Order: sequence, then C-alpha cells, then structure tokens
Amino acid sequence: MLATTIEALPAGEVLNRAQAGDHTAFAEIVREHQSLVFSIACHYVRDRETAEELAQEVFLHLYRNLRAIESAPHLLNWLRRVTVQRSIDQTRRAKYRPKSGLESAPEPAAIPEHRDPLMSTMLRKLVGALPERARAVVILRYQEDLEPSEIADILELPVGTVKSSLHRALGLLRGKLERAGKGVRHESV
Amino acid sequence: MNRFEDQLREAMRREDPPAGFTDRVMRRIQEESRPKVVRMPVMRWLSMAAAACLLLSAGAWRYEQYRGEKARDQLLLALEITGEKIALTQQKVDSISQRTIP
Repeated sequence: MLATTIEALPAGEVLNRAQAGDHTAFAEIVREHQSLVFSIACHYVRDRETAEELAQEVFLHLYRNLRAIESAPHLLNWLRRVTVQRSIDQTRRAKYRPKSGLESAPEPAAIPEHRDPLMSTMLRKLVGALPERARAVVILRYQEDLEPSEIADILELPVGTVKSSLHRALGLLRGKLERAGKGVRHESV
Repeated sequence: MNRFEDQLREAMRREDPPAGFTDRVMRRIQEESRPKVVRMPVMRWLSMAAAACLLLSAGAWRYEQYRGEKARDQLLLALEITGEKIALTQQKVDSISQRTIP
C-alpha cells in the first residue's frame, strides 16, 4: 500500500523523502534506476556478477551522498557518471580491458539479420572490447540515447572529443563486422 | 538514422538486474546504518593485558622503593634525635659533676 503511494509520487518528491531519511523512498529510487545502472555496468564489464556488485556499490555511494543530489535530472546524470567511472575503475583493477583493444577481438563468424539476438550478442562483445573512453561513449549514446553534448557533460570531456571517439568507435565496429563477410548497410529512415 | 545504429541500440538496450536486487541493496544499507560492535582480536587483548601487568608491576616496585626510602629517612631522623638527646644528657651530667667537686 505504501509502496504504491511512493510509486505514484513525482520523482522530485521521492527524492525529497529519501533525503529526509525515508528508506521506502530510497528503495523506490533503486527500483526506478536499477536497470540504468546495472546495464551500463554490464555492457562495460561484460560480466553480470561483477555488474551487480558494481551496481550495488553505486547505490550505496548514492545513499551516502544523497544530500548532494539537487534534483531528479541531477540524480540521473549523477548515476550515469558514477557508474561509468566505477566501471572504468573496475576494468582497470581487474584487467578486464583487452590488451590490444578491438583489433584483437575474434572475427564474428557470420552476420545475422537485424534484431537477431546473435547480432546483439556479437555487438555487445565488440563494444565490450572497445577502448575505455570509446566504450563509455557508445554505451551512453546507444543505451541511454544521449546527445554528444550530454555525454561530454557526464564524462567531463570536450564535445569534439566525444564526437571523434564515437566516430572512431563506430568505424571500428563497422570494420569488424564488414571483415566478417557481410557489410553493414547504411539505410536512411 | 541508419540500420547499424538501430542494431547497436537494440544490442545496448537496458536490462534488469537479477531478481531481488533492490532488497539486496537495502539490506546492505541497513547493515551499514547499524552501529558497529567493535571486536578486538585476541592478540590485541593479550598485548593490552601484558601492558597492564607491566604497568602494575612497575607501580608496585616503585611503591615498595618509596616505602623503603621513607623508612630509612624515619630511622635516620630517629637516630639524629636520639643523638641530640644523648649529647644534651651528657652536657647536663658534665655540668653537675663540675659543680659538686669544690
């Protein structure tokens, strides 16, 4: 009954309640943003168990720093920034980062059709093999659907750097897929 | 929007964490909020006990030393007083002996 009431509240009000010490409100924040945090971590580290541990750490960090959050949009960007940063730290610590980047990733055997789960699996693997910055940019661009200026704000990078990272990452990914045998068609919608 | 970007979007779509994620986070938060009972390891207890024994022994030894010094001072004082009294008595005896012999 109480959970339903909390869910019905605007995001700003839930945040206010959580900041006042309401654990039910904080649990609602976790529920609301768990897929965002978990997915960024999972796409970055490519390991569900590590991603869950990392996502838990992000929410614990949020709980300790809840007073610093100014608004619901600020909360979203804070979660994206902290998750990306922790994912980068995790890969550096655990040496998940590939030694020679995408070039060393195995060539995909075949290119499945659009929306094929195998194609998605292959792309996730290739994104996971991108260099650190490019990986973060691609995840924020295609998972979170953010514009380069928003990504630049989160990663604290110049917009030009984000655009060039994105361009280079897409080129690497396309090249890898094309070398697999079938080219990637560019179709305008 | 090209097809490749659509495929990327599809591959990068959000997914939920394993069931019970929120509960696990809240459990960790509750554990963190709980006041912690500080448990000292055995070695720390032993070293603290040894330090306390050492302090007590040093204190007892110093107290015994203090008592010895005090007793010596008292004895010296008593000897001094006795010496003075004997000297005084000697003077009186001498003066009486001189008066009785004309």
